[in-house]
Amino acid sequence: MDTIIGYLNNMFASLPRTEQMHKLKQELLGNMEEKYYELKHDGKSENEAVGIVISEFGNIDELVSELGIGEIHQEEKVAMLPELTELETDEFIAAKKRSGLLIGLGVGLIMVGAGLLILITSLAENGFMRSVLSEDAMSVMGIIFFLILLVPAIAMFIYSGLKLERFKYMESGFNLPHHLEAEIQHRQSGFAATYTLSLIMGVCLIVLSPIAVFVASAFGDDASSYGVVVLLAVVAVSVFLFVYYGNIRGAYQMLLKTGDFSTAKKEGEEDRVIGAVASIVWPLVTCGFLVSGLVFNMWHINWIVFPVTGILFGVFSSAYNLLKKKDAA
Amino acid sequence: MISSDVIRGYNDTMILYMLLDGESYGYEISKNIRKLSEEKYIMKETTLYSAFTRLEKNGYIDSFYLDETFGKRRTYYRITPQGLAYYRTKCEEWQVTQEVINKFIKEL
Repeated sequence: MDTIIGYLNNMFASLPRTEQMHKLKQELLGNMEEKYYELKHDGKSENEAVGIVISEFGNIDELVSELGIGEIHQEEKVAMLPELTELETDEFIAAKKRSGLLIGLGVGLIMVGAGLLILITSLAENGFMRSVLSEDAMSVMGIIFFLILLVPAIAMFIYSGLKLERFKYMESGFNLPHHLEAEIQHRQSGFAATYTLSLIMGVCLIVLSPIAVFVASAFGDDASSYGVVVLLAVVAVSVFLFVYYGNIRGAYQMLLKTGDFSTAKKEGEEDRVIGAVASIVWPLVTCGFLVSGLVFNMWHINWIVFPVTGILFGVFSSAYNLLKKKDAA
Repeated sequence: MISSDVIRGYNDTMILYMLLDGESYGYEISKNIRKLSEEKYIMKETTLYSAFTRLEKNGYIDSFYLDETFGKRRTYYRITPQGLAYYRTKCEEWQVTQEVINKFIKEL
């Protein structure tokens, strides 16, 4: 039956999405469905039934000429695109905000988890709580904490992608009414300062973060691992800033990119792409971190993968946004 | 198999005939046409629905929804008085057409 639905969708793909067309398609589908089930009931195989139904469909041009839809011009196509309402744009911005929050928090959780692991391990090494727990028990506890934080993070990546599925229809273009466009433009310019500030803060934090390690190592070699913990936390904050505010900015840019719908096409994908990349990259990095630590005992240096990946990920998501914009222009 | 060129002018007539005895819906009509023609003519989906569109536009049939058991909703069609009149003229036209064409048909 899926083949039939796919076939019909294909047939209607190039036709305008009007109410009339939708009704017609449903009618045709109902008919074909009934024919299909009857053929199956008469003992035809799946392939035979589908073949007969499709061969008896006819020629879509016949319908098109009867309905008087000639060649569809570009402007008409634009006019036929769905018009967004205030509710939709508000929901879209809110959803993008939430997805940015989730991805940002997810990345933050992973880094905090790694920081916690390092913290607990170095506390154990320095003899903290030795009377209660052995050093090994402490390291195991650290890894457990880390994994506990990892699971919700991955769930957040996946969930944020799913949440945006609902707005997939925007990818094929839309019309933004003028009053809404003005309002969103207004909101965007209000947001611009916040965005710039978040960008500056994020970059400054990353640039300054190694100071924590230097300062800590001044108190002796043992202390430097505490510095690493601070560094990870600082990088986590800045990556969160990049992802979260970058997402909000992306929402405004996508909404204001009207008119030339063919270029707006792939815009909505970016979040899902970034979410998907996040849900692959971070677990991989984590695996590398755990393996290098547990098997090769490289705990003293392998934490570096988190700030590096964090920064690269932040760069990737901003660059991806930018490149997409460039491609479109 | 009948060439669709020949029959084109009479698709509407066939559908109207199927509605003479009362309302019906898309699949039932196409099934009955196929049965009545002893499987010699199968009306394509698109032919059927372009005929519905045309007939309805001309006021020869009208459509309404009917909910089936299992909550399925179908569009039913019924013939209008204008449709009936049109059907009669088409029948007369066919009689004449048939007479004329028959004059050129010879067993060889």
